[in-house]
Amino acid sequence: MKKLRVLLVDDEIMIREGFKRLFDWEAHDCEVVGEAADGMEALSQIDALCPDIVIMDINIPIMSGLKVIQLSRIKHPQIAYVIVSGYDDFSYCQQALRLQITDYILKPVNYEEFGGCIDNLKISLFERRVAEEPAEAREERPITGITRYLQEHLAEEVSLSVLAERFHLNPQYISQLFKNEIGVGFLAYLTNIRMEKAKKLLLSTPLSVAEVAERSGYGDYRVFTKVFKKSEGVTPSQYRRDFLESTGSGEGR
Amino acid sequence: MLRMEIALFLVLAFVAYIYFSAEKQYTQLHRTFSALLVTALVHLVLDGITVHTVNHLDTVPRLLNDAVHRLFIGSMVLVIYLFYQYIAILVEEETGKPRRLDRAAKLFLAAAVLGSFLLPIQYMRTPAGNYSAGLYVTMPYGAVTFYLLLCAGLLVVNWQAIDRKRKFAIGAALLIEFTVCALQGLHHTWLISGMGITLMTLAFYLTLENPDILRAELTEQKMSMLYLKSQVNPHFLYNTLDTIRIQAQLDGDKKVADLLMRLVDFFRLSVKVDRQMVALDDELELLEAYLELMCCRYPELRCEYDIDPDLGGAQVPNFILQPIVENSLLHGLKNKGYRGTVSVTAEKTAEGRMEVRVADTGSGFTEGKKAAVDEMLLHYAKQPAKLEGNSIGILNVQKRIKLLCGREYGLWYTENPAGGVTAHLLLPAREEEV
Repeated sequence: MKKLRVLLVDDEIMIREGFKRLFDWEAHDCEVVGEAADGMEALSQIDALCPDIVIMDINIPIMSGLKVIQLSRIKHPQIAYVIVSGYDDFSYCQQALRLQITDYILKPVNYEEFGGCIDNLKISLFERRVAEEPAEAREERPITGITRYLQEHLAEEVSLSVLAERFHLNPQYISQLFKNEIGVGFLAYLTNIRMEKAKKLLLSTPLSVAEVAERSGYGDYRVFTKVFKKSEGVTPSQYRRDFLESTGSGEGR
Repeated sequence: MLRMEIALFLVLAFVAYIYFSAEKQYTQLHRTFSALLVTALVHLVLDGITVHTVNHLDTVPRLLNDAVHRLFIGSMVLVIYLFYQYIAILVEEETGKPRRLDRAAKLFLAAAVLGSFLLPIQYMRTPAGNYSAGLYVTMPYGAVTFYLLLCAGLLVVNWQAIDRKRKFAIGAALLIEFTVCALQGLHHTWLISGMGITLMTLAFYLTLENPDILRAELTEQKMSMLYLKSQVNPHFLYNTLDTIRIQAQLDGDKKVADLLMRLVDFFRLSVKVDRQMVALDDELELLEAYLELMCCRYPELRCEYDIDPDLGGAQVPNFILQPIVENSLLHGLKNKGYRGTVSVTAEKTAEGRMEVRVADTGSGFTEGKKAAVDEMLLHYAKQPAKLEGNSIGILNVQKRIKLLCGREYGLWYTENPAGGVTAHLLLPAREEEV
């Protein structure tokens, strides 16, 4: 897998330096190729560098981060955006989601835990690649078969050995397949798709947290809550409540 | 005729009483209005006296009559000058432009007052009543005309820039005064200048200076200050702290960076939650952030948690644990040099309730303190709403538990056999139905 090229956008130099030097980009197969301190600079850097990933602060001078994404999306639909925001505010998050950004993280950024965010990015880039492939090519590759199987069976007990049996492959080989094709480990991938499923269920169904946990593959909802909190920064019920509150007040305006 | 002056004086005196007893800001505008009120009252008294003396020219000594008339006209010029000042300040506040003819206005004031004191005075006798005339009134009348025209000019020139309510107040006051002046000019014996001044003052009082409006202004200012305090500062504070944290980490000081990260977390958590009820997990998150920081400051302080994991989602009033723990630290463990342990326990009790306990190994209650705290928590409703002091924290916690969860829940203290005290919080163990 080729290295992912990253552009950093934040008006505070310290935060850019923190990203650049405190996170082990090398270990995550990424490299920082450029920086920008305001909206205009970000636009021109995106045009010049064509990065794979843009890490973007919302509150930047001249043009907001959301506007930059909106504008550059047209020219560069393949770029994945991660929004980093000091606004602990779900309405920003919602606007951002409407722009189909890949991830949303809140300041203060814990650089040690930023790897999880990069894993999510890799998975979404992989999913986009697969979606663009012609159907026949997709059928032939074992990884697409495995990921589709996982999507369909994520509520069950799935492990490398279950997959090995199902696909008649060596577990080590499958593990390596994930690393090579997607760039993340099997468990990180599984957790990611389970969290995505859980978020979807939380926002679109009235199921209880325990039921959501079960349908997302977590028998014990306490484990689920812990994992969810670590990945999203809030508990499942907080996540749902924030969403309901922000849409409720949104209609009132 | 004298009856009108007395009535006007009483009305204005009442207004002055209300105005001066109201809580307000001391801006230039309000100071000018205060001066205006006082001068107008003095003027009305002189008005009443002159109305009487001018019609008793034969019995009142000439010298006394002259003196009160001169004072009366002098005070009238001063009142109209203050009106002009008041309107000019109003317009200045609205437009932000400095006034231009201020020096001329002051010159006129000096000239008119001097003129009214020094120039000759004479009295006209008519069947309808007497009035004073002569050179001594010409200068003051000139000045008054000048001020009124100046005000009208200010109003017209800045018509677009002035707020509607203020425009209305200035316009009404000027209209009244012009009408009264014109009538007084046509009928010298009516002696109604005091009425014009009273009505003008009333127009301003009713629209711009009444205590309700002043109080609203003051509250608004306080609120915006509180808002600034509570909203902007935390954001600025934790953004700055975050910058310092990153610098520390870049310099390789992981320990400082971790501490700052926790401090940032604590601020963020305490600013973020604005709901009345939160999950026990949220409450514990904030408490952990707080205690971790305290443990870093006092390395011999230990904390232990024993939380039933099933209770994490239970809904409890916001911000009830941190004040309790802070109380344990400040009144218990501080006396032992912050050497000791705080243990936080949450467990289910019977029938859908839970008990959260905060136990410390501090110095315990002093003589009689336990009884005082028990008394306060038992009769929580009768306690006056305090804004500061030692037990404000726990009293507030007790009140909110009773209010938000029900009277059967609440807070109480016991003494530990081995020293220190334990705070017990009995709470419902309901999870919110989402």
